[in-house]
Amino acid sequence: MNTISFEWLLARRFLTENKGQTSIIVLGIAIGVAVMVFLTALIDGLQANLIQNTVGRSPHIVISSEENAAADALKTFDGEKVLLIDASQKTMRPIVEWRSLTNSLTGDSRIETVLPVVEGAGLIRHGQVNRSILLKGFDIRNGDRIYDISDSIIAGSQNVQEGAVLLGKDLAADLGVSAGEPIQLELSGREPLTVMIDGVFDLGVSSINQRWLIMDQRKAAALLGKGDRISTIEMQVYDVLEAENLAREWGTRLPDYQVKSWQESNASLLAALRSQSSSSYTIQVFVLLAVILGMASVLAISAVQKSKQIGILKAIGIRTGSVSRVFLYQGLVLGVAGTGLGFTMGLLMSQLFVVLAEQEYTLLVKPATAAIIISATVLASALSAYLPARQVSKIDPIEVIRNG
Amino acid sequence: MADVLIRTAGITKDYGNKVKTRVLFGIDLEFCAGEFTVMLGASGSGKSTLLNILGALDRSTEGDVFVNNTNLNSLDDDGLALFRNQTMGFIFQSHFLLPQFTVLENVLIPHMIYADRVNPTIEKRALELLDMVGISHRRDNRANAISGGEQQRAAIARALINRPRIILADEPTGNLDTANTEKVFSLLQSINREFKTTFIMVTHNSELAQRSDRYLVMSDGRILEDKYLNVKCLE
Ligand SMILES: Nc1ncnc2c1ncn2[C@@H]1O[C@H](COP(=O)(O)OP(=O)(O)O)[C@@H](O)[C@H]1O
Ligand SMILES: [Mg+2]
Repeated sequence: MNTISFEWLLARRFLTENKGQTSIIVLGIAIGVAVMVFLTALIDGLQANLIQNTVGRSPHIVISSEENAAADALKTFDGEKVLLIDASQKTMRPIVEWRSLTNSLTGDSRIETVLPVVEGAGLIRHGQVNRSILLKGFDIRNGDRIYDISDSIIAGSQNVQEGAVLLGKDLAADLGVSAGEPIQLELSGREPLTVMIDGVFDLGVSSINQRWLIMDQRKAAALLGKGDRISTIEMQVYDVLEAENLAREWGTRLPDYQVKSWQESNASLLAALRSQSSSSYTIQVFVLLAVILGMASVLAISAVQKSKQIGILKAIGIRTGSVSRVFLYQGLVLGVAGTGLGFTMGLLMSQLFVVLAEQEYTLLVKPATAAIIISATVLASALSAYLPARQVSKIDPIEVIRNG
Repeated sequence: MADVLIRTAGITKDYGNKVKTRVLFGIDLEFCAGEFTVMLGASGSGKSTLLNILGALDRSTEGDVFVNNTNLNSLDDDGLALFRNQTMGFIFQSHFLLPQFTVLENVLIPHMIYADRVNPTIEKRALELLDMVGISHRRDNRANAISGGEQQRAAIARALINRPRIILADEPTGNLDTANTEKVFSLLQSINREFKTTFIMVTHNSELAQRSDRYLVMSDGRILEDKYLNVKCLE
C-alpha cells in the first residue's frame, strides 16, 4: 500500500490553499537563510583575505634546525638585537642532507612549493650609512612561486637573471643605492666584499623590504662559507589551513628539525579569527532557531485551521502517521523553497555589498558552509513540523463530527 | 435467517474522567446484511454515540462490537482506520467535503488514502456515482462552490466509492429542506436496494422510519423499541 502520493497531494493543497500565509513563511525562512549566507560570506571572505595577506607571499611551513630556529625568532627584532644573531649563528646547525629532504618533501602531493634557503645576517655599508641585513639565498625561479620576486622588481632589469643580486626597496632607499651600483657587504666572520646590485624589489612587506638581500643559493652559500649546506627549507602548501597539521606530521618524521607552520607564528591572529567565527556561528544558530520557531508556529496554526479537514480524513480512514507526514512534507517544501530563495538572496546581497562598499576582497561562500546551511535549514524545517504533527495526532474525528 | 453483519454485546459508554456519566447502558443488537435500519430518539438519547461505536470511530467502555465476526476491540488505531476506510461509509449532517479539492477528487479521497494512484477504473466508478447522485455536471467544481443539497449528495458518492458493506448516516437530511430530504432519502434507499448495502440511519423524521426495513427508538441510552417493518432480515 503506497499512500505517499496522496500525502504529497494533501500537503500541496494545504500549502496552495492559503498562498499568502505560505509566501510569508517562505519569505521568513528566506530572510533567515539570506542573513546566514551573507554573514558567512562576509566573515569567510574577510578571513580568507586576512589569511591571504598573511601567508600569500610567505612560506606556510619552515623547516630549520633547532638553533637556527632560535636565531630565526630574534631576526625580526631591531638592528641592535640582530647583532646577537651573528653570535648565535656560530652554533647554528645547518641542514646537510637537504637534497634528499627536499626530494621527499616534493613527493608530498599536499605540498606545492619546496624552497631550500641559505640564510645569514650581515651588514651593508654604503658611503656613511650602515644597515644590518638578512642575506637570503635561494633559486630565484623557484622562489618566485612563494615571493613572486620577478614581478616585484621596481628598478633594474625586469628579466631577473640566475645570478642576480636584489635589494629590498626600503633598504635601497636608506642606503641610497640603486640598481647597477656596488655596495660593501660584511657577513659575520667573513672578509668585507663588494657586490653589484642588479635590481631593487618591492614585496609589499616592509620587514622584507627593509632587510632582505636576495641572491642565488650557491652564491650565498659561498659568501657565507656554508659549502653545500643550507639554513632552512621554506614551503607553501595547497591548503593553507592544513599547514599546521602538515607541519606536525613532518615534525614527527623529522625529529632533528624544527618544523613550524604559519599558524604557530601567527597564533594571535588565528585566535582572533576563531573567536570571530564562533560569534558568527552563534548568530547563525540563533537565526536558525528563529526560523524553526517561526515555521513551527505557522505550521501549528495551519494544523489548527485544518483540524476539521483532518478530523474528517481520519473518520474516512487516514492514519495518524499519514497526517503527520503531510505536515512533515509541508515543512520540507517550505524549507526547500525558503532555503533556495534565501540562498539566492544571500548571494545577491553579498554581491551588492562588494559593489556598494567597494570591497577589495570577494565575499566567499565555501561549498562546505553552503552545504551546512542548506542541510541545517532543511532539517530544521522538517523538525519544526514535529509540533504540528503531534498536534494532528490528537485530533479526534468525533469532536469534529459532533461540532459540525 | 440472513447473515448477521453487525452484532453488539453489552455495549456501554461512559463519558468523563472523574465524574463518569453513562450514556449507553448495555446495548445488544444485531444488524443483518442489506438491512435498512432507521434510528429514532430524542436529542441526547445516545444515537450518535452508538453509531460512532458501531462505525469504529469510537470505542465502547464495556462490551464488544463484532463486524463480520471481527471484534473491533481487537484492532489498534491504524487497524480501525483501515477498517473504517474499507468497510464503512459515513454520511453526516454536515457534508464534511474538503474545500481544497474538487467534487470528483472528494469522491476519490477514500480510495486515494490507501491506493497508489487513481486508475481509470476507479475514476469511471466515481463518475458513475456522481451521475447516480445527479451532480456529474459539478465534478470539477470546488467542493465549497456548490449548493448544500449537492454537497450532501457528493458526500454520499464519497461514502460509496470504496464499496463499503455498511453505511452509517447520522441525520443526513438534518440540514436539508423537504424536497432535498426526499431526494436524499430515496437515493439512500435505491443504493440499499441496488448494492445490498447495510444502512443504519439516524433521523428525527418518523415518517422516514415508516419507509425502512426496521426502526429502533432510543431513550436515555437504552433501546426502547425495535420494530421490523419488513421480514427480509428474519426470513
Ligand atoms: N464527548 C462527550 N463528553 C461528555 N458527554 C458527551 C460527549 N458526547 C456526548 N455526550 C453526552 O452523551 C449523551 C448522548 O449524546 P449523543 O450520542 O450525541 O446523543 P444523540 O445523538 O442521540 O443526540 C448526551 O447527554 C451528550 O451530552
Ligand atoms: Mg446525534
